Amino acid sequence: MSEKILEINDLRVQFKNGKEKIQPIRGVNFHINKGETLGIVGESGCGKSVTSLAIMGLLPDKTSEIASGNILFNNQNLSKLTEKQFRKLRGNDISMIFQEPMTSLNPVFTIGDQLKEPLKRHKKMSKSQARKEIISMLQQVGLPRAEQIIDEYPHQLSGGMRQRVMISLALLCKPQLIIADEPTTALDVTIQAQILDLLKKLKGESDMSLMLITHDLGVVAEMCNRVVVMYAGEVVEEAEVNELFDSPKHPYTKGLMQSLPSNNDRKSKLYSIKGQVPRPSEITVGCAFANRCPHVFDRCLNETPPSFNLGNHISKCWLQDSPYKEVSHNETKGTAIR
Amino acid sequence: MKQKVLLSVKNLKKYYEIPQGLFKEKITVKAVDDINFTIKKGETFALVGESGCGKSTTGRTILKLTEPTDGKIIFDGNDISTLPYKQMRTLRNRMQMVFQDPYASLNPKKTVREILIEPLRVHKKFDNVTRLEKVKSILEIVGLSEYHLDRYPHEFSGGQRQRIGIARAVILQPDFIIADEPVSALDVSVQSQVINLMLELQREFELTYLFISHDLSVIQHMTDRVAVMYLGKIVEIAKTEDLFTNPKHPYTKALLSAVPITHPKEKKERIILKGDVPSPANPPSGCTFHPRCSFALDICKKQAPITTEYSNSHSVNCHLYTEFKEETTHAINHS
Repeated sequence: MSEKILEINDLRVQFKNGKEKIQPIRGVNFHINKGETLGIVGESGCGKSVTSLAIMGLLPDKTSEIASGNILFNNQNLSKLTEKQFRKLRGNDISMIFQEPMTSLNPVFTIGDQLKEPLKRHKKMSKSQARKEIISMLQQVGLPRAEQIIDEYPHQLSGGMRQRVMISLALLCKPQLIIADEPTTALDVTIQAQILDLLKKLKGESDMSLMLITHDLGVVAEMCNRVVVMYAGEVVEEAEVNELFDSPKHPYTKGLMQSLPSNNDRKSKLYSIKGQVPRPSEITVGCAFANRCPHVFDRCLNETPPSFNLGNHISKCWLQDSPYKEVSHNETKGTAIR
Repeated sequence: MKQKVLLSVKNLKKYYEIPQGLFKEKITVKAVDDINFTIKKGETFALVGESGCGKSTTGRTILKLTEPTDGKIIFDGNDISTLPYKQMRTLRNRMQMVFQDPYASLNPKKTVREILIEPLRVHKKFDNVTRLEKVKSILEIVGLSEYHLDRYPHEFSGGQRQRIGIARAVILQPDFIIADEPVSALDVSVQSQVINLMLELQREFELTYLFISHDLSVIQHMTDRVAVMYLGKIVEIAKTEDLFTNPKHPYTKALLSAVPITHPKEKKERIILKGDVPSPANPPSGCTFHPRCSFALDICKKQAPITTEYSNSHSVNCHLYTEFKEETTHAINHS
């Protein structure tokens, strides 16, 4: 029943940095089913935004390239498309909501001018038709006085309203997949609640799929069906949302959850993962998380772990290999007490 | 146990004027409008609110980085609101600030050694040799080491930079630190490290914090008392436990309910506020929250509410509680 709308196989992205080449994305695999919300969680620099740019074909062409792997959207390989073919796709079948509503709208065009573009390019609508469409879309995303806002400039709107405009821009051509890159990070909690509520409502009305990139586990808990956890350019864990929150398998995911203030006693010392995210150039052999992992053993330092599949729950950690399972079980108990 | 009051702020106001041209009347923005609170020695007091509510301005005004328009700031028994610049400067060895953005608050042209020695040099403390020893020991305390001394800020990650910012504030051994969103620019795993550091330092040096943040989960974790701000006014002050279990002001209720859930199975009743925060240049009449409030009464539109003591150390700024009517409070709890 669940049809895959997007599938990413062993994606590697390379950036040229002077004479050096660095690989911020080192073998990413995941898929999105039709109509589901997939959350992608990770800290800054783990490659979640680069992955989304690769899907959209927005990587800078001079300094970066897709080194290997493919991105299949409805069984069409996106990594081989030309710019012209991409233009047909972007905004029409896949569209994106960016993080900064303050900077992602053009300040010198009115809202109407900017929203008209995708309709003109993809739907070949006449001016009056497009205007009608835009006003109804602005009303749908909950903007008051849509007829006036269409002729206003972005600086006249507040952050929450601009993000609503961005959402309506993404929705105009009724895409099959929306990529939302930290859509609420720049907003206040009360506005965040409004926007998440809106996204949920809009998703309920159509059968589009949503890829939600965030670093906030609370947003994931609220919105997503399945979650992919990324660390240092790799997918370290993938699971259904309840499964992930009930029994996280990878030590990094466990650490993330335990370090949330709400999962610790008030005023007590917070659990924290020691050290910090390695730079792409610092990653050598073995598991990328080994230097911060509380359960590290010899094998982690020498061999890169494969993705162990435990029935819809994928974890990239040697602890999931059967001989070590016993150890992992005991050690999780240890950390829980601490 | 009666604790000593370290800082009390009385009727503090900070207005900004925006000129509209030669013959037009100036617009006054009431960034901080008549706020009162006290901070006891050794406690962590939080200011929470959305962006633009005046919480950072309050912090900066207390340190007199911007001059207050009116009101009193009493620090350790002395009114500092009228102190001249020079005396204020010497007083700042007892009150320090940690800034929000660790990328912008460290001078990129100075090494860590220079950054950390500067406060000691300005306040003429110790001789050169002891200063360097102090710097080394503080680096150790905040979790960096001696070989970081001659590096520049750009060589550090965000979390490490924030540690340097904290070290710079703590090196003078102040009594009082204003932390303006110290962890909001950091990732979750680094955020917990910095919070732990701040809690440790508080225990070690008996610090008093004014913790400014918009992140309610961090506030719930590390503060003793909370003041909720909305459009330049404090709408509710309470002990942290009281505020999170029994919020009174409709705005606090909405704010708490907007926090994302922590587990997908958790069910949460959500009060979603309509619209945005009004512009502080043109605030609504009466109670500034009334256009977004679902319990607004007629009086809310005309008259600003006064602060009402709801119970011991829990005060609310809302007409629903001014006469302490049992019926109205019940109505809110059930709806």
